[in-house]
Amino acid sequence: MMEKLLLRNVDKENSHTIDVYLSGGGYRAFKKALKEMTPDDVVEEVKISGLRGRGGAGFPTGMKWEFAAADVKEPKFFVCNADEGEPCTFKDRVIIEKDPHALIEGMLIGAYATGCRYGYIYIRGEYPIGRKILERAIAEAYERGFLGENILGTDFSFDLYVHSGAGAYICGEETALIESLEGKRGEPRIKPPFPVNAGYLWKPTVVNNVETLANVPLIIERGGKWYSQIGSPDCPGPKLFPVSGKVKRPGVYELPMGTPLEEIIFEHAGGIVKDRKLKAVFPGGASSSVLTSEEINVPMDFPSLAKAGTMLGSGAIMVLDETDCIVKATLRLTEFFRHESCGKCTPCREGTDWLVRILRRIEEGKGSEDDLDVILSISETMENSFCGLGMAAHNPAASTVRKFKDEYLLHVKLGRCPFRSV
Amino acid sequence: MTYEEFREEIKKLKASNKYPSLKSYTLPSLWIAEKNFSRIDPEIIRIIAQELELPLVEVEEAARFYAMFHTKEKGKYVIRVCTNLSCMLNGAEDIVSELKRLLGIEVGQTTPDGLFTLEEYECMGLCDGAPALTINEERFLRVKKEELPQILKKFGWKGE
Repeated sequence: MMEKLLLRNVDKENSHTIDVYLSGGGYRAFKKALKEMTPDDVVEEVKISGLRGRGGAGFPTGMKWEFAAADVKEPKFFVCNADEGEPCTFKDRVIIEKDPHALIEGMLIGAYATGCRYGYIYIRGEYPIGRKILERAIAEAYERGFLGENILGTDFSFDLYVHSGAGAYICGEETALIESLEGKRGEPRIKPPFPVNAGYLWKPTVVNNVETLANVPLIIERGGKWYSQIGSPDCPGPKLFPVSGKVKRPGVYELPMGTPLEEIIFEHAGGIVKDRKLKAVFPGGASSSVLTSEEINVPMDFPSLAKAGTMLGSGAIMVLDETDCIVKATLRLTEFFRHESCGKCTPCREGTDWLVRILRRIEEGKGSEDDLDVILSISETMENSFCGLGMAAHNPAASTVRKFKDEYLLHVKLGRCPFRSV
Repeated sequence: MTYEEFREEIKKLKASNKYPSLKSYTLPSLWIAEKNFSRIDPEIIRIIAQELELPLVEVEEAARFYAMFHTKEKGKYVIRVCTNLSCMLNGAEDIVSELKRLLGIEVGQTTPDGLFTLEEYECMGLCDGAPALTINEERFLRVKKEELPQILKKFGWKGE
């Protein structure tokens, strides 16, 4: 079993307080960066580490920082994306509530490296407990001189605030998040320009996910080279895997990137409830394509899952057993996307709506075989959506139609859902 | 909270200098309203627009866009039952129907005494505790149907 890195503090009593964080070596990495390293050194170290963003897209963090550092517009903003909204993802919640100072320290290091003066933690409205914990942690960090002007007697100044979202999945998309931070509806912007050059108030803005930032103190403390040797070579590091659904021990598991999906489900999460048979897994949140029980011997990292025709996304593993109806599960995930589509572009707004209508009629036993082709055709059109939400929203529907066609057809043939007792 | 007190709260918020743009205070202002009024009504929207020097419509569209802001009357306690996948697989639908039965209302409605509003909600990141629900800011995990009356009583429910 790998040494606990990201979850090293969470089991300590009062792990959310600055005293406990400091006694475990907290803020040492920030001091090292600030006093012994130039901003360029920090960016270089993160580049060497190979860290890729843990929010879903997997963009190299060092490169993002390099772009932001190179921009000369002032002021620059450093934003933590704590709008963890992908269904069945609850990994960032653990860091926010149990180790908020690791997140703040990661932001400080990032802000120093990129020359950002102000920071915001955009936390989803559904995490009121996390918001309070973060606000308290920020106040503690100000008291101890880690935030504010001339931090630890240097020229570096950084102010940090919490900004609460209000229930909109789309705000996890970084440009929609920025619109929301500006006080608008959370609708995505066209890219480029990218936020690193034109983000909040069209100023350079770094947007990093919670888990990504929690990795940063480790990289600075122990070195990028050390970090790069953990897990998969082309996307290294520890990874938090939230596992839920029909497993015996749902929870967040920290494992090296590239740990096989099968091992996570059967060893760490304890296997399937009541020792039933595993039927299907969504390996990377609601926007990922489904895997069947024959396909779960796959390393959980960005390239391996892409090769398997799905994606790592947030790393949220959702497990269905043999008693669960695949059509109903797909319907529920697609209903989510219909609810969360911001309505800006047609393929997503109309596509999610039609998918829900068609999936519902199939689930109710009123569908036809032709409906399956319609689903695939809608799916193809939705590839042309404006942002990632629409581009991924059809994945559950298209992938389950392809891989569980028989089960869809059984609904059509029987004229009812075969998993309902009546 | 009175409208005048609300206006004072926004003034205080602005004095915090948290944002370099007045418009960025829109969501924090709406949050104050959401927590202190039974709904975000036109007068509240007008006050925010005045204080933040924004067109009315820009405040209104923000108020209507976000799922957690209520522009319609809500109860003292908002019950949000997650029905997304992990919670659904673990029995969330039964939780919703039992709450409907106990409270005598449909999803989206408020009890006649103004105490509870029942909402089916999207994933709240509590999937390791599925099925999960929240009542205002308190969360309840691995909820069983039989526990619901006890939970409701904590918030002043007088039924059964």
